[in-house]
Amino acid sequence: MNAYLANIRMNLLLAMRDRTVLFFSYMFPLIFFFIFGQMSHAEQGGASAQLVNMVLSIGVLGTGFFGAGIRAVADREQNILRRFKVAPITAAPILVSSLVTGLLQYLPLVVLVLVLARVMYGMPVPRHLVSLFIFISLGVLAFRSLGSMIASVANSMQESQVIIQLLYFPMLFLSGVTFPLGIMPQWLQTAAQFLPSTYLSMGLRSILIRGESIADNWEAVAGLALTIAVATFLGVKLFRWEKEEKMRGPAKLWLLAVFAPFLMMGLWQAHAKSNVVKEKQLARDLSRGRTLLIHNGRLFLGDGQVVEQGSVLVKNGKIEHVYSGDAPTAKSLNAEEIDGAGKTLLPGLIDVHVHLGSPGGVYESREDYANFDKNVDRELAAYLFNGVTAVKSVGDALDMVLGHRASFASGAMLGAELFLVGPMFTAPKGHGTEYAQYIPESARDAFQAQIVRLPQSADEGAKQVLDLKAKGVDGIKAILEGRGGFARLDSAILKGVAAGARQAGLPIVVHTGNSRDIQDALDAQVNGIEHGSTADEIPAALLARMKENGVTYDPTLAVFEAAIAASNGNAELLDRSLVQQTGPASLLRATKQSMIKDGKKADSPLPVIILERAKKNLLAAYHAGVPLVMGTDSGNPSMIHGPGIHRELQLWVETGIPAGVALEAATHGGARLLRIDGRAGLIHPGYDASLLLVDGNPLADISVTERISAVLFKGEHINRGELFDK
Amino acid sequence: MNLMDSAIEVSGLHKSYGDFAAVRGIDFEVAPGEVFGLLGPNGAGKTTTVEILEGLRPRTSGTVKVLGQDPATDVRAIKDRIGVCLQATNLPEKMKVREALTLFSAFYSRGVDNDKLLQRLQLWDKRDEFYSRLSGGQKQRVALALAMVNDPQVIFLDEPTTGLDPQVRLEIHGLIGELRDKQRTIVLTTHYIEEAERLCDRVAIIDEGKIIAMGTPREIQARTLDQSRIEIHTAQPLPAGVPHFPESERHLFNEDRRLLTVYSPKPARTLPEVIKWIDQVGGELEDIHLKRPTLEDVFIELTGKRLRD
Repeated sequence: MNAYLANIRMNLLLAMRDRTVLFFSYMFPLIFFFIFGQMSHAEQGGASAQLVNMVLSIGVLGTGFFGAGIRAVADREQNILRRFKVAPITAAPILVSSLVTGLLQYLPLVVLVLVLARVMYGMPVPRHLVSLFIFISLGVLAFRSLGSMIASVANSMQESQVIIQLLYFPMLFLSGVTFPLGIMPQWLQTAAQFLPSTYLSMGLRSILIRGESIADNWEAVAGLALTIAVATFLGVKLFRWEKEEKMRGPAKLWLLAVFAPFLMMGLWQAHAKSNVVKEKQLARDLSRGRTLLIHNGRLFLGDGQVVEQGSVLVKNGKIEHVYSGDAPTAKSLNAEEIDGAGKTLLPGLIDVHVHLGSPGGVYESREDYANFDKNVDRELAAYLFNGVTAVKSVGDALDMVLGHRASFASGAMLGAELFLVGPMFTAPKGHGTEYAQYIPESARDAFQAQIVRLPQSADEGAKQVLDLKAKGVDGIKAILEGRGGFARLDSAILKGVAAGARQAGLPIVVHTGNSRDIQDALDAQVNGIEHGSTADEIPAALLARMKENGVTYDPTLAVFEAAIAASNGNAELLDRSLVQQTGPASLLRATKQSMIKDGKKADSPLPVIILERAKKNLLAAYHAGVPLVMGTDSGNPSMIHGPGIHRELQLWVETGIPAGVALEAATHGGARLLRIDGRAGLIHPGYDASLLLVDGNPLADISVTERISAVLFKGEHINRGELFDK
Repeated sequence: MNLMDSAIEVSGLHKSYGDFAAVRGIDFEVAPGEVFGLLGPNGAGKTTTVEILEGLRPRTSGTVKVLGQDPATDVRAIKDRIGVCLQATNLPEKMKVREALTLFSAFYSRGVDNDKLLQRLQLWDKRDEFYSRLSGGQKQRVALALAMVNDPQVIFLDEPTTGLDPQVRLEIHGLIGELRDKQRTIVLTTHYIEEAERLCDRVAIIDEGKIIAMGTPREIQARTLDQSRIEIHTAQPLPAGVPHFPESERHLFNEDRRLLTVYSPKPARTLPEVIKWIDQVGGELEDIHLKRPTLEDVFIELTGKRLRD
């Protein structure tokens, strides 16, 4: 023990006396810190964590390869180790003291860089500070033991320098230390998973940026720990005290043993690709961490209030401040500016009625349908493209939507935030069961289990709700529809389902077709009515009940308009600019062709009257003071995902609903139904920075919402042009 | 000498590096308190032999005991009890003299008063000096100090004065002399004849991996038939026709015939006759040296080679 302590003490003294050591350990990283801090606008947030990662990772590589590796070779070449050889010690105290000294020498830099990043660039304090220090310590020890191992196998200074350069440069540039891995081609990203530094950098960033702990990064921790163990063990075994002792060629291959853990992890990653996904999440978190100022625009706050001239400061994904009138300059707030002059900023739109399982049209080929998961990814991106920052899927295959919700919530995928109900509660042979006819018989039962629940009693209905709650659904949807030859869900069973939803704390909405459906739904004490009635006028008494109980009304006008147009062979709705922008072109082309071909053959085209009734009921609901929400039923024929809500807004205003009311339904109203009104649907400090900036004033001309200037999602200024490439 | 009391016993020691046999059967013993010299040219096997004793190298065959233990198996224990001053070692540039002693002291189970050690080696004034700022002699004294931090029972000095200037060499000789006076067991390798003659109780001459002569310096000198050298320098070249001098069997001239060397076991008898003859031939005497036989002579006689080539 004495030998260890004496060596550590001596090494520290020597390090403090060595100006080059001091320069490369502290000055060099700090110079880097300041230069790249200025270049990357670290003061605008986000980049500061990336900067800290870069400086600390480069520092770890430096202390490992140059501090430990080259230094150990130099000690041998200068006959210093010879002197230690005659003393009664093994190589262990020499190697271990080199590790410990390196660590003690490195930790002050970590503190310094963290404090500077906090003070100068306002970097948030990582949630798991202890994890950060443990992880970086593992990194230092792993790379120093790696350096010592290289010194052990290299026969000369020249040889060690060759080996070190061969490892140092790829690690510097190809492992997310300096350049983000996400910008590299796929094969390079896969190759990077074989480098120890990739795990170092990713772990560091995960702890710094995502607030993760070391437990969340156990793979990287295991890899680094294994490196320390293997490299130290082999370092002691292969240690050479004199330059005259040469390492034989084959023995040098022991170096590969140190990389074995990463070889295995690389192979695993080539298969699992979880780090490629995590890399995307980290890039996402960085983009969401920037500080932005939407400057001098009109603000529609979401609850009906309007600020004619105001600014919104966005920081770390949230709305930091709302300025009314003049705001400080972006520069003084350390923010990137988005000019709002002549524009209107709204909370991100919320579409509470979509079906992701169908494309809203006809694909050209079977293969297009086969790419099911990719299609859904694109659909969610399409909503974001159109300024819709949250959608509610009201009836889709349960596991499919759960999976997509997870991948989008993690930041691995970019698109609207997804809320879901999973399967719909309906009667056997009721509306919702008819889609199974397109499924091969062998898979039909499994499909039905994903998309519908067919309770036979009130109790069974309640129990099925609780089971779905356990699976993680955000709400419940039931169907009351007796028209079109469908069997209608028994109202007593609906009461059981609704009771289950109340017990589970889930909002329940009901698809209705006429006033009787609405009455039964209200009797069951549901939270929302979808579609309302196209068959009759809703009696004032029912609307009064809705107002009294806060039951929301979602008229889904656009889908009726589209259905009528489609049944008449009219494809004009597909020519709308936003629809064309959203695409995909092949879907629009095939859909249009099928409509023109099939349209004329419709024996009984849908009468325009159903849309008229729907509009009338909406207007009555508005006048009755019923809380309104906005859904589109996108996924139905000629209602492609994304742009539908802009058409819905226009139809509401056509109906006579004031634009402000329609916009409130499309923002704050939806947030309340989704029960996220504490963080979304308003421009309000502390709320999610999910925002839509449009050219002009939608309160004067609702079609202005289609002129999208910018979309922000959780603080990220979305590059709309690239959304569909990802 | 009682075998049990030997500090070092070596018998039948062989060491090969691949096909090359560096040591080819060496036997010797060193008694406690003895200063034992290993003398031989570069590459003779001296360093290999002592490094085997120090536990730094495995041997190929033979038996070796240092302080009663086998360096092949008890290497830690032996290293703990011996002191070693290797050829050509260094310390980190920014290490101070006293720090070096403190550091190395920590490696051993026994210690001495390092301050006294520094004073004894005349390093006290340099105790806070960086290693890089020391002169060659000071560095060598630090190396000696490091070899003594554990109060060693045997000290190995591998070419302790090689590369040092004569003045420093004398200093080091003085220090070793002190150690000898304190009854330390010392194994010294050297290719300086006078060093061995001056410092060693016994000397073994090694050449090509074998001991070719061993004994006290005086005993070894006796092996050269005890012939002294009479060297006579003259102002003019001497003529040929040198007579047979009494007791002398051999003489030789150098090239310009101005240096005459006459070998004789009884130089006191021979010398007057030589001077008389020079007088007769009209030579003018410039200088006369009378030289006792040296280890160098022994070495040349035994191997036909000079030591320092």
